[in-house]
Amino acid sequence: MIQKKICMLGSSSVGKTSLVRRFIISIFDETYHTTIGVKVDKKAVKIGAEDVTMVMWDIHGEDVYQKMNMSYLRGMSGYLLVADGTRRQTLDDALALHERVVLEFGKVPSLLLLNKFDLADQWEIDPAQTSRLSAAGWNVLHTSAKTGERVEEAFLQLAKMTLSE
Amino acid sequence: MSAAKSIFESFFSTQGFALFEYLDHGDFRLIGSWPGWCDALWGNLPAQNKQVRLGDVSPFLENFIFDAEEFWKSKSSGSANSGNWTERDAAAREIPLEASAYLLDGRRVLVVRNLSGTFDQQQEIFQTARDSLLVYEKLLREIQKKEILLHCIVHDLTQPLSAMNSVFHLLEREHLPAQLKKYVKTGERESQRQELMIRGILEAFSSDLAAQNSKQEKSGDSPDLAECAQRAVRDFDTPFSDHDIGLRFDPRVNKSQNWRVHGDSARIDRIFGNLLENAMRYSPKNTTVTVGVEDQGAFVLAFVDDQGPGLPKDQPEAQLFALFSKGKSHAGKAGLGLYFCKITVERWGGSIGAETRSQGGSRFWFRLPRATKAEIDHAPAESHAPAAPERHQEKSKPVKRLRILVADDADINRELIVELLEKRGHIAIGAADGRAAVAELEKHDFDVLLIDEEMPRMTGLEATQAIRQRETGTARHQIIIGISGHATEEDETRFREAGMDALLAKPVHMQKLYEVVESTAAPAVSAPLPQSAPAAQPSSESAPASTPPAPGTAIGSVVDHLRRSTGGNEKLMSSLTAILLSDAPKTLARIGRAIAQNNAADLRAAAHLLKGSLAIFGAAQAVELGRNLEIMGRDSNLREAPLDFRALENEFATLREELAPLVQKKKTPKPAPKPKSKAAVKRRKR
Repeated sequence: MIQKKICMLGSSSVGKTSLVRRFIISIFDETYHTTIGVKVDKKAVKIGAEDVTMVMWDIHGEDVYQKMNMSYLRGMSGYLLVADGTRRQTLDDALALHERVVLEFGKVPSLLLLNKFDLADQWEIDPAQTSRLSAAGWNVLHTSAKTGERVEEAFLQLAKMTLSE
Repeated sequence: MSAAKSIFESFFSTQGFALFEYLDHGDFRLIGSWPGWCDALWGNLPAQNKQVRLGDVSPFLENFIFDAEEFWKSKSSGSANSGNWTERDAAAREIPLEASAYLLDGRRVLVVRNLSGTFDQQQEIFQTARDSLLVYEKLLREIQKKEILLHCIVHDLTQPLSAMNSVFHLLEREHLPAQLKKYVKTGERESQRQELMIRGILEAFSSDLAAQNSKQEKSGDSPDLAECAQRAVRDFDTPFSDHDIGLRFDPRVNKSQNWRVHGDSARIDRIFGNLLENAMRYSPKNTTVTVGVEDQGAFVLAFVDDQGPGLPKDQPEAQLFALFSKGKSHAGKAGLGLYFCKITVERWGGSIGAETRSQGGSRFWFRLPRATKAEIDHAPAESHAPAAPERHQEKSKPVKRLRILVADDADINRELIVELLEKRGHIAIGAADGRAAVAELEKHDFDVLLIDEEMPRMTGLEATQAIRQRETGTARHQIIIGISGHATEEDETRFREAGMDALLAKPVHMQKLYEVVESTAAPAVSAPLPQSAPAAQPSSESAPASTPPAPGTAIGSVVDHLRRSTGGNEKLMSSLTAILLSDAPKTLARIGRAIAQNNAADLRAAAHLLKGSLAIFGAAQAVELGRNLEIMGRDSNLREAPLDFRALENEFATLREELAPLVQKKKTPKPAPKPKSKAAVKRRKR
């Protein structure tokens, strides 16, 4: 079976752990539990004819308390860059993090998830910004770990991208 | 030895450690026993030689082994640490783990530790910290939203006010019946009051924020506090009379003493204004409010004494100056006035307070440090000119006629600014937003672009950036003046950083408009203004520009001079003369009052005004006397002023006789129609 290492990257409390939980066990917990270090989980999926084990590295969010160790990303096949749509700054931070990753590891399959789309009325990222990101080559998905909207699609799409690399 | 080793291994095992020795190529040999949690996570230990390929059972360790190998190769002391990670065991429980690599007696040792015993505590610390961070971020966003809301409100409030002010300025130039003029004056006064209130709100908040960054603000024009106090008494004389309350400047104050302080005259005027409004609100009828200054060594103290009920006994003094603080009677307004006074005075290193006087009534006071010699030397020349409310002496006519593009999305504001500029003799056209302005600039040259900050489609700042970008690599520089309801120092910096040359505060005042536009454009333009400005409705304040008469021009030639200036337009000659004969006596009376009251600033302003009016008629002697009086006012030396004033009165009397026949026998001369080409009308309708 093919194994693919997938990293979850982004600022703290953007919903990385919730997205993984939604994908793996279809559960969403309203309470925020911060991640310390890395949570490693696996999920077997079928992409076309291929059986793939996705090994998810849910890496703690970067903030003033914890900086990310870039060695965690060694050998990754792809990553989901996650931002919180209700906090504009997390998108800026995510894009800055992406720059560092590209500098260290080159171009690796990735998707940009603007999470918490269930709170669209509190959204701080307008459609024009999303369009600009798409025009810049980003594959952007509006997701909600709470409702499950486009979560599975995001993981499977990335898995597919890693296979075609 | 073997027993000791066994105890050692058992100890580590019970403490949640699993110890391994690295063999090579990813193989490890277990040291000691295989803990139960390892069993739950990674299954049974293969029996053969206690060997295990940790990289195969744990993806995290597979990654860390690279770092551990690097460490072992380096033969360093200490350890390499993996950081925390979590894996799920067979029962889907999360097990927090940590791995460390050591080099012990040449053996490559890997220690994996189960952190379940201590992880909860660590988790709690991080959880609390990140929760606090989220709350903090949320608060910041709320504050930002409120600031934006405040600025929007202020912008919306100043927008109609701008139009009102412009309308009043234009109406003032018309020949209205006395009663209507009175109404116009009242409307103008009230709109100015409202403007001051809006500015108060904006400055109270922006100053409060700025104060967090700098404890003491740089000084302004180092004004004379006694002069400011006298000016305040004059400004508030009418409203106090209307309330049957007396207002006076303390006669004991020695006006010739040095009362200059660290500060800015415009803001000090507003501090006095706030304190006097407060005194007026609480003073009973038929009492007197006294304003004055006192020498306190390195400081000057200003006071406003009333004969009212004194301070409320149950309200601490400090609370009077707090934000949104109001008296119990709720006679006050939003509770911003005294707060503004406090933050302003404190930023200049001064203090403010209030007390009940032993003889009854209350005293509100503030004290400011005396201005240093360097401050006085560097104070702007116009430092003693009153700042607010606006005085209505129009500056002398501009020497250049400017082509001005006015971009404002509010039709009425745009039209009125265009109108005011055209009255001044400039050529002005309008554009409905930033994009239209940029397009217009591509087609035509303008000396000045006056542009509103907030507009749909393209804001003033965006338009400025587009224009500056287009100028890159060329020697061109379009003069751009921003118009904004946000006109704090921070805003001005923001505008300049965006590429603008100057900032004009909303609501737009006629005199300030001319001053800012003409002074900003001065170095860049070359087209001379025609001798006689077209399109302007003449008045004593806005008469067409005229060549100053040569000294010694005979009075008898004034009619000829006027005929030349007006191109022989009898109607215009009649209008100009009527205005002079109507307005000049009032200005003369104002000059007389200024001399009697030793008010140098007012003398200077009034003499300047009259001098400009007389110049149109080529009345050389009278102009010379007016100039002398203006200089005396500027130098604050009024000793010789009564003599020149008397001479000026005589000159004017002669002039009046000479000019009287020119005045048509109409009570109210109709304003001359404004010549305007069809093209100009079309342009302005855009």
